[in-house]
Amino acid sequence: MSVDEPVLLPMPRVGPLGEHAPKPIRVVLNWGRRYSLWVFNFGLACCAIEFIAASMGRHDFIRLGVIPFAPGPRQADLMIVSGTVTDKMAPAIRRLYDQMPEPKYVISFGACSNSGGPYWDSYSVTKGVDQLIPVDVYVPGCPPRPEALLHGIIRLQEQIAGEKLSGRGIADRLGGAGAGHDTGTAARYTAHRTGSAAEVTRERVSRPR
Amino acid sequence: MSTDELRGVAPDDWHDAVAAARAQRFTFFDWLSAVDRTYDEAAPGYDVVLRVLAFPRLDPVVGEEITHFRGLRLTTRVPEGVALASVTDVYAGAAWHERETHEMFGVEFAGFDDGSGLGLRPLLLPDGFEGTPLRKSFVLAARASKQWPGGKEPGEGHDSAKSPSRRRVQAPGVPGPDWGPR
Repeated sequence: MSVDEPVLLPMPRVGPLGEHAPKPIRVVLNWGRRYSLWVFNFGLACCAIEFIAASMGRHDFIRLGVIPFAPGPRQADLMIVSGTVTDKMAPAIRRLYDQMPEPKYVISFGACSNSGGPYWDSYSVTKGVDQLIPVDVYVPGCPPRPEALLHGIIRLQEQIAGEKLSGRGIADRLGGAGAGHDTGTAARYTAHRTGSAAEVTRERVSRPR
Repeated sequence: MSTDELRGVAPDDWHDAVAAARAQRFTFFDWLSAVDRTYDEAAPGYDVVLRVLAFPRLDPVVGEEITHFRGLRLTTRVPEGVALASVTDVYAGAAWHERETHEMFGVEFAGFDDGSGLGLRPLLLPDGFEGTPLRKSFVLAARASKQWPGGKEPGEGHDSAKSPSRRRVQAPGVPGPDWGPR
């Protein structure tokens, strides 16, 4: 088997405890998860500077439990995409997202990664990072202030607090991905295939006849 | 104000002019790119521009400058579909710039050689991209397919008090009315 071939692994699960956990246990597990978000900053443009500002002493998102010291995506729980996503960069974002372990969350920070922002009509800019990966929280602004990121993090923590822990819940969040849950439709986000630039690159559009 | 020396040459003399510039101590290759001049009715085409620099020459004894720092910009107007002689044999660093100019403007470079033997392949554009996006004729299809909630041009915002008879700005890349309603 060559190195390039994908290895088909089952959908990662939280374990039997999480599947059948009664509500008090679920509250405890979610509480632990929401206040220990190791973050991985996918900084692509000026929004990344605001992210750095939010991590420094004045705003200090470590007090919310967001820890910006993940050595890489394989050790991270949360990816913050801050900046202009281009079609050329898109496969790298998918690849690093796929490397993150479940449960994983994404915050889209700023107008560019939300929708393309001021470059909405560019030939090279992806019209929103949600074309590539599922986004949990969108933070608007160009660039948003660090307070906006803090607010987005709190919103994400509220979502995590109400989360179901089963593998089914994770699969639903990924748009029907995962072994054992054959929904018949093609999974939009799976870790079993790597994204390519062709997924977001549009064919050359010609004038309508 | 630019202090570059400007030289315009015919496309056939391009390679000789670049080689002559190199022989005149312009040894530092700065950049090469193109400008879309297809709107020029007298001579439509693409201006290929090359900038090279000559470092100051110092007196070996007293260390004073004999010649100053000089810049030179060479320009040639290449008509559509005509291949320009590649200058990669004069400045090897021009290979990336010629590849970029080829993929962005569609200008062909004859005799391109960067040592790989792979020719003028895409450099910056993602896989599967079709078209030459920096040409003025390249239509930004996102404008045709997507409704934008704001004002794209001055005077067409939500509550603009400007009269609708104001001349519409027709910037390059904006799809025309024959692309359908937006």
